[in-house]
Amino acid sequence: MREGHFGFLEALSLMVIVLINKIFFTSPMTLIEKLGTSAWLGTLISCLASLSFFGLLYLLMKRFNGQDLFQIFETVTGKLVGRGLIFLISLYFLYYTAINAQEFAAILKAYSLPYTPIYLIVLPLLVIAAAMTYVGLEGIARVAYVFVFPIFGGLVLILVLAFPVYDWDYLRPLFGYGLDTTIGIGLLRSSAYSEIIFLAIIINSIHGLKYFRRVGISALLICGLVFSLCCACILAAFQYPSSSEHLSGMFQLSRVIYYSRFFQRIEAIFLFIWVFASVITIAIGFYISLKAYCRAFLIKNHRPLLFSILLLTSAVCFLPRSFPEILQIHVRVIREFSFLLIYLVPILVLLVAVILRRGGTSNDKSL
Amino acid sequence: MTKAYRFLSGLLIALFFCLPLNGCYDSIEIDEEVYALAVGIDKGVSNIIRVTVQYPTYKDGGGGSGGGGSESGSGGGGEESGEVNGTVISTVEASSLLEGISMLNLSSNRQISLYHTKMLVFAEDYAREGVVRYVEPLARYREVRESMRVVICKGSAEEFIKKSSDFVGANTAKGMEMGFYQSQNTGYFPDVFFHNFYSSLISPYGQCTAIYAGVNEFKQLDSQEKEKPELHTDVDLEPGQIPRKGGSKSEFFGTAIFDGDKMVGYLLQNETRFYLMAIGKFKWGIFTFEDKRSPGDAYILEITSSKRPETKIRFEEGLPVIDLKISLEAELISNQSRIEYETLDKLTELEIEIEKYFHDGIKGTIEKTQREWNSDIFFFGKKAAAQFRTIQDLEEYNWLKHYQDAEVHVDVDVKVRRSGFLYKTMPIQSTSPDQKGRK
Repeated sequence: MREGHFGFLEALSLMVIVLINKIFFTSPMTLIEKLGTSAWLGTLISCLASLSFFGLLYLLMKRFNGQDLFQIFETVTGKLVGRGLIFLISLYFLYYTAINAQEFAAILKAYSLPYTPIYLIVLPLLVIAAAMTYVGLEGIARVAYVFVFPIFGGLVLILVLAFPVYDWDYLRPLFGYGLDTTIGIGLLRSSAYSEIIFLAIIINSIHGLKYFRRVGISALLICGLVFSLCCACILAAFQYPSSSEHLSGMFQLSRVIYYSRFFQRIEAIFLFIWVFASVITIAIGFYISLKAYCRAFLIKNHRPLLFSILLLTSAVCFLPRSFPEILQIHVRVIREFSFLLIYLVPILVLLVAVILRRGGTSNDKSL
Repeated sequence: MTKAYRFLSGLLIALFFCLPLNGCYDSIEIDEEVYALAVGIDKGVSNIIRVTVQYPTYKDGGGGSGGGGSESGSGGGGEESGEVNGTVISTVEASSLLEGISMLNLSSNRQISLYHTKMLVFAEDYAREGVVRYVEPLARYREVRESMRVVICKGSAEEFIKKSSDFVGANTAKGMEMGFYQSQNTGYFPDVFFHNFYSSLISPYGQCTAIYAGVNEFKQLDSQEKEKPELHTDVDLEPGQIPRKGGSKSEFFGTAIFDGDKMVGYLLQNETRFYLMAIGKFKWGIFTFEDKRSPGDAYILEITSSKRPETKIRFEEGLPVIDLKISLEAELISNQSRIEYETLDKLTELEIEIEKYFHDGIKGTIEKTQREWNSDIFFFGKKAAAQFRTIQDLEEYNWLKHYQDAEVHVDVDVKVRRSGFLYKTMPIQSTSPDQKGRK
């Protein structure tokens, strides 16, 4: 596959966009519904849990310096099991891409394009993702670097302009539905940051371990803080009962910006940044799924497979019958339970490597 | 570059540009729609609800012509077509609000859209029975703007909308929106946005309010002349009772108070100003006080909020105690008695007097909401929430129920900062020895 190389800023932009994208969708609503006024704290706990996982992932990558995650799977668990794991990751990211595309389309339909057939929203999105995958990882990363500025600029603009509607007293009671619930759900929701695994898969394109650690920690910290701030702003604007109802808290926030007759209705900004972020997220998900598939079956050229994977993703995309099904089953699987695959598998591989003394050197004191 | 590569690149670029075409399904020409300005809800007779929608005719430019007071439009059919001052007012009875609006499309050759609706008006009788079933679909419906205002009117909503004429400027939509800005200029009514109203409906921190309004038939002006009219500085009036004539017949004047989704009462204009001061939404307003040192004369102050009110809540023996500190600034803009209030000792006396007035007014208003309706429209609950560790504790305690038990301490600090263009008050010179200002 054509991967290319890119620098720290491109890698950071890519990771930040992919991680932050879910703030535009139903994540704040779900988080606030479960944690109430402590949603902002819960997501910080998720971020800390993800940082801990990332630490373990770093140890694994350091032990097998120069190899990407898929190579490590094969080295540690053998070719058969390793390829099985890679294939599993390919399937997961195909599902991830399809559900993200479907969530994007469903919310876009609810807020902005009510009469457009859903396939006309989903298919062009997936075709663009396939086109970006055709160009390769470097292209996706450089596009991310270009768009990270309008995305962050727009996000900051919305948060700042909505300032008059904030009342920080609505963040009380401090512990929401209880500190234990906040910690429990916070840990469970660490899956929402699971895209950080992309870094281990594309490590050879980002100049190895040095950038891997810097990009990973920076991206997680930035996204944790932004996610927490966005949840706090949504709560401060709408209170927890109302915030638990809004499909997209951030979109709703952009709709209440009102300064005068001449300065209102600025949610169009939101639509732009929403589309940019979603296209990049879906493209990288698509790319990783295809890359994993090619690696699992030792396929050198990924391009002939683009159309098949595109077709498969579209098919998965149209599996859910309704928006509640997307939200209550599929999005929940990705944002609450994906850690079982994305976090636990690399940790188990690390454990196996330590037990079987694979990787590193005998005098390696890193573990 | 090979031919195949070029072809593929071209195809991909073409596909990329397909994305904006998605909008075609939802595209609508601007003149295919007509934008409702006001939506009124009354009790139905043959069905559950009577919906009134006002939309501009787009004749005579802009968003509908304003001038004139007659119920006719250019080229309109007057009362029969519902044409009033450049707008059409249509009414229908239906089983639900949104279906009612949909049925009203039959009265217009264009699709009625709620994207630019400025106000939602409920008849008071209906609001007292509960509004949630008509607010909930609007909170869900994509066309409805969060910046729409919520109004409760005395009498019928249909009549109120008919009488809400704008006489300044040519754009009805602009005039309607600017009418709500009078809340900042006077403090006689709160500016309640739809999103605030809906959030407050389901809030455990406090209860919701709406703009209280009515129709003034211009019959309040007493035509009988009195030899010496008395000075009444603290008159509380309901909407529709302001002794005036001319201008729009509709009036926003007071605050409608809710318990849950049911209207339970209202605050009059001065109580509304005290309420706005207590929640930090009072911007500025004119207050007239009778001068106790010179009965029959008045001094007039322009009051502004100097900083946000500070609210602290603690629990003593299980009962909530509210400490509210309000800081106001005053400017003496008229002094009929010509007593030298600008001197430092008189200024302090004046401040104490004004502080007492606002203290009693604000405390009285809070106690009225506790005693008469047990409705925390001040949202003290959000401060009380800090005393609870979890939402379960807060909801179990049920602040809204215990609001009436709260002991309220109000501390008002007024600083008279300026006295307009005049720094001193000199006595009137005349042949009479007891002229104003003479010591």
